[in-house]
Amino acid sequence: MRLFSRHRGIPTFARGGVHPDEHKELTADCAIADFVPRQVSVPIHQSLGAPSHPVVKKADRVRRGDLIASDADGGVPIHAPVSGIVRSVDSGVHPVLAIDTTITIEARDDDPGAEFAPLPDWQLLPRGELLERIRLAGVVGLGGATFPTFRKLNLPADARVDTLVINGSECEPYLTCDHRLMLERADEVVQGAWLIAKIIGVARCLVGIEENKADAAAALRAAIDRLHLAGSDHPLAIEVVVTQTKYPQGSEKQLIQALTGRVVPIRGLPMQVGVVVQNVATAFAILEAVRQQKPVIERVVTVSGLGIARPANLRVPIGTPVNAIVEACGGFRAEVVKVLAGGPMMGRALADLSAPVTKGTSGLLFLTRAETNLGGYQPCIGCGECLDVCPLGLEPSKVSQYVEAGRPLETAGFGALECFECGCCSYSCPSNRPLVQFMQVAKAAYRQQLLRRSA
Amino acid sequence: MSGPAPDLYLSPGPHIRRGRTTAEIMWLVNLSLAPALVWAVLVFGWPVLGITVSAVLGCALAEQLACLVRRAPSTLPDGSVVCTGLLLAYTLPPGMPLWMPFVGGALGVFFAKTVFGGLGYNVFNIALVARALMMATFPVEMTTAWVEPDFGALAAVDALSGATPLVSLTGGGEAAGAAIVGTPEGMAHGLAFFLGLRPGSIGEVSVLLIGLGAAFLLWQRIIKLWIPASVIAGAALLAPWSPDPVLYLLSGGLWLGAFFMATDYVTSPSTPKGQVVFGLGIGLLTGMIRNWGGYPEGICYAILLMNTLTPALEEWFRPPRSAAKGTPS
Repeated sequence: MRLFSRHRGIPTFARGGVHPDEHKELTADCAIADFVPRQVSVPIHQSLGAPSHPVVKKADRVRRGDLIASDADGGVPIHAPVSGIVRSVDSGVHPVLAIDTTITIEARDDDPGAEFAPLPDWQLLPRGELLERIRLAGVVGLGGATFPTFRKLNLPADARVDTLVINGSECEPYLTCDHRLMLERADEVVQGAWLIAKIIGVARCLVGIEENKADAAAALRAAIDRLHLAGSDHPLAIEVVVTQTKYPQGSEKQLIQALTGRVVPIRGLPMQVGVVVQNVATAFAILEAVRQQKPVIERVVTVSGLGIARPANLRVPIGTPVNAIVEACGGFRAEVVKVLAGGPMMGRALADLSAPVTKGTSGLLFLTRAETNLGGYQPCIGCGECLDVCPLGLEPSKVSQYVEAGRPLETAGFGALECFECGCCSYSCPSNRPLVQFMQVAKAAYRQQLLRRSA
Repeated sequence: MSGPAPDLYLSPGPHIRRGRTTAEIMWLVNLSLAPALVWAVLVFGWPVLGITVSAVLGCALAEQLACLVRRAPSTLPDGSVVCTGLLLAYTLPPGMPLWMPFVGGALGVFFAKTVFGGLGYNVFNIALVARALMMATFPVEMTTAWVEPDFGALAAVDALSGATPLVSLTGGGEAAGAAIVGTPEGMAHGLAFFLGLRPGSIGEVSVLLIGLGAAFLLWQRIIKLWIPASVIAGAALLAPWSPDPVLYLLSGGLWLGAFFMATDYVTSPSTPKGQVVFGLGIGLLTGMIRNWGGYPEGICYAILLMNTLTPALEEWFRPPRSAAKGTPS
């Protein structure tokens, strides 16, 4: 089978994966446009792990770029996305957590806030200062994982890293925000990559881009030629590698395997095989944090799906409510049955359209009945599809059967604890079994067991 | 915002799925079985259609009753019970009384499927349990109701004729085999087997049309080659002990069983290695029963026996974990 593949010679990960309909044509040609709402709601959970600590109170005046929540509690710093007046610091809607403490700011036009013009000599800053600027800017993984970036880049002293991987895969269907960013801001993305390479001290950088974004690969290659990074004070060889279009190519470990052939150990970190991975949008944010000391106060969001009247790629302030974006995009043009934050494979379904865009929101999808999957599920028929498509070689069918039989604590041997929930199994299951959910149930059972034992 | 907020579904991801459902797979399998049925009607006459419908109706009745008892929605639309009925009919002689397949199908689905919990939970191939039951219950009809192929016979089928070639092989040993195939027209006879112009069960007579259906399933990636290839390889290993190896490999339900019954998802292992062992086991057991057993056809029992090993084979032959092996380079 592989012999006749038209992808012969084009790198990809070794095992499994699926090819969902891309639907990227809805927004691939939509240039990034700005939209600023009248009011933003900024939740204090904006990064993986602990929340941020609000440092403003009701009726405070804030300027765009001011700190509104600090990292005192372990979260990342959060800054005012717009200038205006704090209307409340209270419980609000969160796209993932459902409810979160939220700082609501009403925008005022009288004060544009900080300019964020490029600062001189940003190329010459030492490593420590670079990291500090990234930390202060509240940069997190913008691909959706929202891991605090300064922590990822602040490698332990014994780490032996030789390769930076920049992730431009954008393997989720519908999403094109990274694609547009690579096309429109190629220089900045490359300069951001150079900064990361300087921080982690590597001379080699691979940019992974799927075949379906050949124009983005060309744009980045042109930028690399323009910028002559090999001759800078931190010489860097950047290579753009076009990979197969296959989900989940953009998953860290799969991308590392595709680009370097290295296999990250189970439950291990990319660092262990000498690699650090950063998303293209994060590289861009890192450049802005260093060059302009501009915090992450906005991001590009793909607004798509057959339900939205005018699909778009919008740069919006963090905290922009979904329903303001719906309005800006012309409302619905068909019955929308599901609204997603993120892509259709791993994104979250939203219950409430007043939920805001957070640093981790890469897309907002307004799906019609025909586009999405609402059906019930049937028993496992043992077809083995899930075994074929799992990129890790796990056994979702077995996990699901054990969980159904009330024996979730017997599923570790089938890989329940290693699953990273890419969803290839559920996507492929002819019986429409929610295999990822069964994995989650199994994981929760093990977590509870651990808690009981430690209690 | 234009219009009121919509009612939103909140089910977790992935929010999209690949097109093909279990029901679609089952109906595609049924479709792939159709050519052999058309051929059987052409060469054996209309009663073949009656037998097939009767078997399907029997299976469907048991399935529907089970749904009613469980107060569950009908599972007939998923197509699996039609598949069972078709496969059962294909293993029957074309001269059977019409009520027998109905009874056999109903009891088979009851004992092999519904009592285990329906689709996905059965341990044994349902059609073959039904066939085994019929062999025990209607031994005379199951082994003698053969019909000579006759293209002019669409209107009426005359009397029952002699034995199938495999029956002759088992009964009369090498002499009979030689009498059938060892003639100067041996090659032509082999061709007749291939095309199905010979006495035999309804669906097994034409290796060509079974192969056509199987090719469709392979092309659609509904089945993979591991199981059928190893079934035939396993059987071929014992071919030298057969009075007539060519007849042995081109006849009987070997091909029907290998491609359509051994490949049943539910009752076969799902990893390639497990499937190869499973298939080889079926092939070898088939050869054993055919060459040294009292039954002319062995694949039915061979598959049922190997079905019992499926859970163990899945335990022994697991999919390879991608991250477990492989060291950092």
